[in-house]
Amino acid sequence: MTTTPATGGPSDSTIQDFADMSAALTGFQSSFLRPFLDPTNLSETFYNFVVSQAGQPAMDDLLNAFRAIKTQPAQKIADTLLEVTTTPPSNQALLCQSIIAMWYLGSWYPPANLLGTSLQQVISSQAYTKSLVWNVAQAHPMGFSAFTFGYWSNPPASLDAFGVNTGGGK
Amino acid sequence: MKKFATIALLALAVACRKEMPASATDTSATATETTASTATTTSATTTSTAPAAPVIVLSSNIPGDVQEGTIPPGSDRNQKFLIAQGDFDIYSWNTFIALNWPPGPDGNGDPKKTIGQNGDNDTVWEHYKDVADVFLPNGATPSWKGSAPPPPPECKADYSPGMRILTQVGKTPNVLTEFSQPFNTGPLIDQNGVYTRYEILVNKPMFDYILSNSLYSKAGQKVFSGAVKFPCGVLGGAEGAIMVKSSWMVINPADKDRFHTNQVLVYTPASQNPKYPASCSKQTVGLVGFHIGHKTNLGPQWLWSTFEHVDNVPTEADVSSGKLKAKYNYYNPKCTAANCPPNAVPPRPWDPTKVASFHSQVVRMNMFKGGNEFAFTSATERNTDAHKLLVGVNPKSVWQNYELISTMWPTDPGNGQCQASASTPLGNPAPTFLANTTLETYIQGMVPNTSSNCIECHMNATMTTPVPSDFTYVLQRAK
Repeated sequence: MTTTPATGGPSDSTIQDFADMSAALTGFQSSFLRPFLDPTNLSETFYNFVVSQAGQPAMDDLLNAFRAIKTQPAQKIADTLLEVTTTPPSNQALLCQSIIAMWYLGSWYPPANLLGTSLQQVISSQAYTKSLVWNVAQAHPMGFSAFTFGYWSNPPASLDAFGVNTGGGK
Repeated sequence: MKKFATIALLALAVACRKEMPASATDTSATATETTASTATTTSATTTSTAPAAPVIVLSSNIPGDVQEGTIPPGSDRNQKFLIAQGDFDIYSWNTFIALNWPPGPDGNGDPKKTIGQNGDNDTVWEHYKDVADVFLPNGATPSWKGSAPPPPPECKADYSPGMRILTQVGKTPNVLTEFSQPFNTGPLIDQNGVYTRYEILVNKPMFDYILSNSLYSKAGQKVFSGAVKFPCGVLGGAEGAIMVKSSWMVINPADKDRFHTNQVLVYTPASQNPKYPASCSKQTVGLVGFHIGHKTNLGPQWLWSTFEHVDNVPTEADVSSGKLKAKYNYYNPKCTAANCPPNAVPPRPWDPTKVASFHSQVVRMNMFKGGNEFAFTSATERNTDAHKLLVGVNPKSVWQNYELISTMWPTDPGNGQCQASASTPLGNPAPTFLANTTLETYIQGMVPNTSSNCIECHMNATMTTPVPSDFTYVLQRAK
């Protein structure tokens, strides 16, 4: 099912599927995670990073699981992939949790030890400055502000403008 | 509700502005190829659904905004950016050509003349207002046509009316330090040991906004209320606020054929640390660097075009491959990296009145990596197209010796009507980093908030009061 171009990198459709799946998992808009013109290209960076950590077969299996349900509402997709009604979660569900943490924090928390003491890895400087936690807080990371001086004296933009999917899980 | 619908439509229009309807795939592909490979003619094949592809033209008209072509459906990321970046690079070259067009008596480009027809020429932008003549002592009111302030006493002997005086040794002397580029990183010293000089000029729309809002003085800025909002250029219409920053090297008059040149007075004010007196000398200078910042509807974060003289510096790849020219303005090909460390800051004290034993050994770092390779490809193609046009006017045109490094533009400009998004005011610029080796010599690189990014840096600008100044630092010069 995975389409890989001759050059060896992931295909555009694969990255789009990864972004769409990530959108369902994180509660963000897919067009925000992967805009039409995307200078930071985090979705591809993150895809490649997950493959390097979890392996291509695990990524292919996860994306195929997503593709099978991709027309469903975002909340339903997230509940299914995260196996919210299953205890303990499978390795694939744990991988989904790592992917969520990666988008929100810009760091990699290994699925096998998500809440453990293993050292997390910051994926890149842009993964940090663009991590979603700042958008949810309608704020910016320490050491990097996208706002003008004095922005704090005005109300922040809406969560929707910050890319959050506020459409009731659709 | 109606307002919401209007905003939504506008947002959709901006978000989708580059996507081509699937039914027009074949035609748009043809139009795209025309954009990439043709500089002298307009699009060969277009339909009613495909806007004409932008091209580089010999024209005295300053583009009011970028003209965007179309991106065929199914394009991958690199293809999308090659097309989009190409549009902005074409805009940059058209702006460069118009700004360097021979002016008529009113200072605007004279359509009866052509850029470079006599090799070199007077230019439109050199009739803009130097910021030194906008922010006058004691906050005096400037005027567009008014006479320049009297020259410093040290320059009076060589001064004749209309003569330019180059004062700055750094890009932002009154903001950070007198003899430094941004972030106090240091001056640029050429291979003859002479300090490079800078000037900043603004066009009439920018000047008029400063004047009408009394932003030329500290007192005026203090009582100013609201947000600073310079006018935006409109595609097919008026230009917006434009800032030009130029860098000049003192040259041997025998080298005039390769540069746009000027005879100017190079003035250095007195300093206490290091201690030296004021001095002034008449020199022939050549243009080596050229920044254009233009605020437009599709660039409320401004569009940032940067050009350099082709002999300035080698690239990292040139150095590693050994494919070097015999001579550069800011690099000695005969000096080893051990003896001449690349991009090293000149040792203090910095004394621009003396010929320095230190010569800047500058190498252009590759800042177009990690998914930004399109910027290099696009600029290279557009430079080839533009140089063909310029050589076609006159094989000895000095303008063929200037190259576009790149254009920084917002991929998410906001509503497309001069208003940036509140959540993404930077507009997610592309390429991610951009530097001119004569203006940001020592902050080349790829470190967020540290390496040169036009939009991110200028976003921090304020007036003399703690009020954002709409991406320009010049308002900090108010007295």
